[in-house]
Amino acid sequence: MRVVLAEDLYLLRTGLEKLLAAHGFDVIEAVDSGPALLEALVRRQPDVAVVDVRLPPTFTDEGLRAAIEARRRVPGLPILVLSQYVEQLYARELLADRAGAVGYLLKDRVFNDDQFTDAIRTVARGGTIMDPEVVGKLLGRRSRDEPVARLTAREREVLALMAEGRSNSAIAQRLSISEKAVSKHSTSIFTKLDLAPSEDDNRRVLAVLAYLNA
Amino acid sequence: MDAMEPWNLWMYLFCSLAAVCLCLIWIVPTPRGRGPRAVGLGAALVPAATLCVLAFGVTAPTWTFQVTAIFADGHSVTSGGSLLPGAGQLEAFWLAVAIVVAASVFTLVASRQAAYLAAITLLAFGLWQAYVALKLHAGLVGGYYWYDFMLRWTDRLAVWLVALASVASGSLLAARTIVADALGRRSGLTAQVQRLTLTRAAAVDAAAAELRRLERDLHDGAQARLVALGINLRAAEKLIRTSPDGAETLIAECRETSSQALADLRDLVRGIYPPVLADRGLGAAVEALALDCPVPVAAEIDLPGRPPAPVESAVYFAVAEVLNNVAKHADATCALVRLGYADGIVRAEVTDDGNGGADPGNGTGLAGIERRLGAFDGTLAVNSPVGGPTIVVIEVPCALSSPKISTS
Repeated sequence: MRVVLAEDLYLLRTGLEKLLAAHGFDVIEAVDSGPALLEALVRRQPDVAVVDVRLPPTFTDEGLRAAIEARRRVPGLPILVLSQYVEQLYARELLADRAGAVGYLLKDRVFNDDQFTDAIRTVARGGTIMDPEVVGKLLGRRSRDEPVARLTAREREVLALMAEGRSNSAIAQRLSISEKAVSKHSTSIFTKLDLAPSEDDNRRVLAVLAYLNA
Repeated sequence: MDAMEPWNLWMYLFCSLAAVCLCLIWIVPTPRGRGPRAVGLGAALVPAATLCVLAFGVTAPTWTFQVTAIFADGHSVTSGGSLLPGAGQLEAFWLAVAIVVAASVFTLVASRQAAYLAAITLLAFGLWQAYVALKLHAGLVGGYYWYDFMLRWTDRLAVWLVALASVASGSLLAARTIVADALGRRSGLTAQVQRLTLTRAAAVDAAAAELRRLERDLHDGAQARLVALGINLRAAEKLIRTSPDGAETLIAECRETSSQALADLRDLVRGIYPPVLADRGLGAAVEALALDCPVPVAAEIDLPGRPPAPVESAVYFAVAEVLNNVAKHADATCALVRLGYADGIVRAEVTDDGNGGADPGNGTGLAGIERRLGAFDGTLAVNSPVGGPTIVVIEVPCALSSPKISTS
């Protein structure tokens, strides 16, 4: 799997390169600035890109802007954004084109390399991964009007794990319930949120997130 | 005994108009001190006033008048004469110059209050009366005077009394106004010094308290976790050969600890200078706050540029605290944040449909914000009747820099 990597700190960049190589990814280009990233993304069109939010020259949200611009030019280009902090505002911007194949994770999540590489593969397949912190905040909202208020506590748990990009079996394992129970919960969630059922997990996650963000 | 010539009448009207305009400039206050508008008007009117003075000096001695009184029995008496009896062109000229210059200097230098104009007019009138009285005593003038009617029913003492009264009241008025002005300026300055002293002390206190909090958070949080990390790594190092399983457990623990240390640091950074504020500026940061609030918050942002970083930070934390209160105490179902800039002031307004009854004097949160805003001459106003709604308005005067850069 061809990966473009953008990270300005040398140690982190080489660390990530090694980690990705060890898990069978092919890092075709590793860049250290926003303009270089945009150029690499558009020219190489990798299977997936792993991008740090804060990059030179402005050291603000250069990586995010480059990612959004690249996806404007190459629709659906899979990009996983890493950051020291997560903002719902940025998550919303990443999800805005509703094309899927995006991820937004805290940098700490790299520590768990299996989960991290799973996340990269999910994004490359067109799935959506949001950091539990983003999802937690979304679900933490209280409102009498929003449909999410109609969900039971268990359904919220299932929805949160789903939004993090986990499969039904992973959710079942995590909550110590049967996979059948998970699918029952998810059907109920989609009914309550007025979402038409579909076989595509990632589409559903995207729909849920977009719905919550609206 | 000629009647006033028509063009003299026009000149007289023109002079009066000019004088009225001049007075208006001094009296009408501009929004913030003497703005460019007043200066421009003044610049235009100085040549006009000079022309009027010249015209007055040249023509006034030739001005005459004629009055005809018709009595009940039918017979009439016609009387008339010079408007400025005994005055040569030079005297009239200097009289006019003196009045205009004195009035200008006094009003421009001291104040633009109407009181000064009144005082000057009284003084000038009084001095002129004294001058007339002196001339009367010296028998230097004869003929008809336009103020003859006065001399006919009083004696010359009356002229002196009028002169004295005018000078005295003019002087008193001037003195009183000068003193009041000086005192006003002084008390204004004193109040400002007091306010600045208070806000400076508050700013210094707040900064010191903030540093103490940072030190404590670092000490109890990230630092402690890094120590634990070192200890566990050392233990794992020892175990790695004898008990690989134990070492693995310890290393997993280390990973967990480093995650927690990062989370601690992240929270700390958010509290110092939120990354989104650094990335995108106040508008987007307030939008992010609205998104993060557990209560649904709508945001209307209209900032044409970026305020200075310290102001951005102060307004951001003010809005954050207010939204925090909305979420915690107001029991609101929704809220609205408006952020805008007008007349050199950044204004943030947070409205919620909660219980109301919020008291800025109660609890340290809002008081702390008020102190922080005070350092920038900013204010926090809370309107929260019991039963709601609550409106909190934050205003900070400042300039905006570079135009907005569009996002995405």
